[in-house]
Amino acid sequence: MTDLAIVGMGMLTGTQAGRSMRSILAEASRLAIEDAGIDRSQVTAAVEVRSAAGRGGRAGSSDAFPRLLGLPVDFYQPIGRGGTGGAFAVAIAGMLIDRGIANYVVIAGGSLDYSESKRAKSSSGAKGTVRIEPEGYWGRPFGDLRAVSHHSFFASRHMHEYGTTSRHLGLIATQLRDWALLNPQARYYGRPLTLEQYEAEDYLVYPYRRDDVCVMTDGAVAMVVTGADRARDSEHPVSVRGIGFGEAMAQLWWEKRNYTSLAVQNAKQQAFGQAGITLDDIDCVQFYDCFTGEVLLQLEDYGWAGKGEGGAFLESTRIGPGGTLPVNTGGGLMSAYHFGDLTGFSEALLQLRGQATGRQLENCGTALVTGHGGEVLNPGMCSAHSTVVLSTE
Amino acid sequence: MTVPTPNIDNDNRAFWEGVDEGKFLLARCGVCGSWYWPISYCRQAHPAAPFMGDLSWVEGSGRGAVFAFNVHHVALEGWLADRIPYVNAIIELDEGPMFGTNVVDCPTGEVRVGMPVRIVIRDVDGVKLPLAVPAPAGA
Repeated sequence: MTDLAIVGMGMLTGTQAGRSMRSILAEASRLAIEDAGIDRSQVTAAVEVRSAAGRGGRAGSSDAFPRLLGLPVDFYQPIGRGGTGGAFAVAIAGMLIDRGIANYVVIAGGSLDYSESKRAKSSSGAKGTVRIEPEGYWGRPFGDLRAVSHHSFFASRHMHEYGTTSRHLGLIATQLRDWALLNPQARYYGRPLTLEQYEAEDYLVYPYRRDDVCVMTDGAVAMVVTGADRARDSEHPVSVRGIGFGEAMAQLWWEKRNYTSLAVQNAKQQAFGQAGITLDDIDCVQFYDCFTGEVLLQLEDYGWAGKGEGGAFLESTRIGPGGTLPVNTGGGLMSAYHFGDLTGFSEALLQLRGQATGRQLENCGTALVTGHGGEVLNPGMCSAHSTVVLSTE
Repeated sequence: MTVPTPNIDNDNRAFWEGVDEGKFLLARCGVCGSWYWPISYCRQAHPAAPFMGDLSWVEGSGRGAVFAFNVHHVALEGWLADRIPYVNAIIELDEGPMFGTNVVDCPTGEVRVGMPVRIVIRDVDGVKLPLAVPAPAGA
C-alpha cells in the first residue's frame, strides 16, 4: 500500500452568488493544483465530494468541474453521503494511486447554500436549516424536515442520561466562535459570542439554540493527493497517516446507545492503528461539528472524556484559543464555513503547513480530521463516521 | 396549508395502509416473534428464511415512552407556521422498537424523557398520522 500525501490545497470562501457549483470546484481545483506545484495535465483523476451523490442527475455528472477546467482525467466520480466524503475521497485516491491508475488525484467539494438560500426566500432563513433531503420521506408530515429536527435527539438523550446542560453546549459554541474571531475568512469573524449571549438566545429546536447549529456558507475546498514518493518534491507535503470508517446504520433503532454516541470506535481504531498513534500524539483536532452535540459526543467517543463526562470535561479543559485541546481552530462548521469534512481537512492542512495566520498553533505536527455523514433523516441520523490522521512527517 | 404526505415505498406501504385503517402496525419476526420498526431482518441469531425472515405486519400495543424529544420553535417550512411550537420525539415502544412522531395533547414544556405515551391515529388536515399522546400509568 502506497503512503499518501496531500500536496496541494485550494480554497474559496465568502459569497459565490451568481457562480455555478462546477465553476467554484474548478477554481478551487486550479488553486490546489497550482499550490501543489504541478501542471493540470498531470491530474488524471478527480473525485467530487457532494452532500448527496444523486444531485443533478446524469447531466450534472457529465458536465462537471474537470471538463470545465480541462483536466485530462481517466477517472471522475461524484460521491456523497453527507460529511464523510473527504475521507472517502482520500481512500479512493489511495486505490487509484496504488493501482497506477493515476499519480495525482484532485478532490473537490463545495457549497452554494448561502446564496441559494438568499435566493429562495421561501425558506425560513433560520441559520443552518437548508433543506438537505430533496425528496420527502415518511417523517415530513411530522415536521421532521431538517437535520436539526432529529439530530437534536443526540443532545436531548445525552442531557437525560448524563445531566449535560445547555451551558455545556454553550461552552462548545462560544469557544469555536472564539477561534472564528481569529479567522478573517470565517462567517462569524468579528462577531463575538459570550456564554451569557448564548444562554439568552431563543431556542430554534430545543435543546438547540441558534448557535448550536452550523453555518450555511458558500465556497469550496480542493486538495491534490499523490503518493509519498512524488510528494518528496513538493513544497509542503502532509502525510495521510491513517484513514478509518465506522457505520451505525444496522444498529440504529435497535441498539439504543446510538443516541449518545457516534460510530467512532472502529473508525478510530483503524486510523490510529495505521498511524501508530494515541490521543496524546494529536496536536490539533478538527471535528465534524454540524451541531454542538456532535462535538460533545466525539470528545467522549475518542476518549478525551469518559462517556457521559463531556460536560465536566468542558468545564475543566479549554478547547478554544489558548486551550490545552485546540478543537476546530478555524471556527469549524459552527462558526466558519461548511464544506462537509473538507472544512476540517482545510484547517488541518493550514495548521500543519504553518499557514494558519492569526491562529497558528505552535508545534502542530499531527492533526485529527473527522467526518459525520450518511442520511439526514430519521432514523438515519448520519450513521457514518470517518477518522483521518494527518501529519507533517 | 397542506400537510405533506409520507413518502411511501414498498417497505413501508403496509404500515401506512394500516394507519389509514386506524391500525398501528409493527413488523414481527415469523420465527421468534421479535418486533421491529422500521422493517428489518430479525437481529436474533436464527436463520432468516424465507424472504426477509418471514416478517409480517401485526398490530402493536401502541404503548411506549418518550425516549428523546425536541421542541421546534421555528417553522422550517411555511405549512408549519400554525403548528409551532411542536414536539418531535422518538418513542420507545413497549414491544422494543423505536418510533418517531409528534407528541400532542400536552404542553410542549411538559414533555419529558420517560413520559408514558400511547399512539393514536388522527386525521391531520386530511392525512392520517400515528401521533403520541400522554398516557398516564394505568390509564
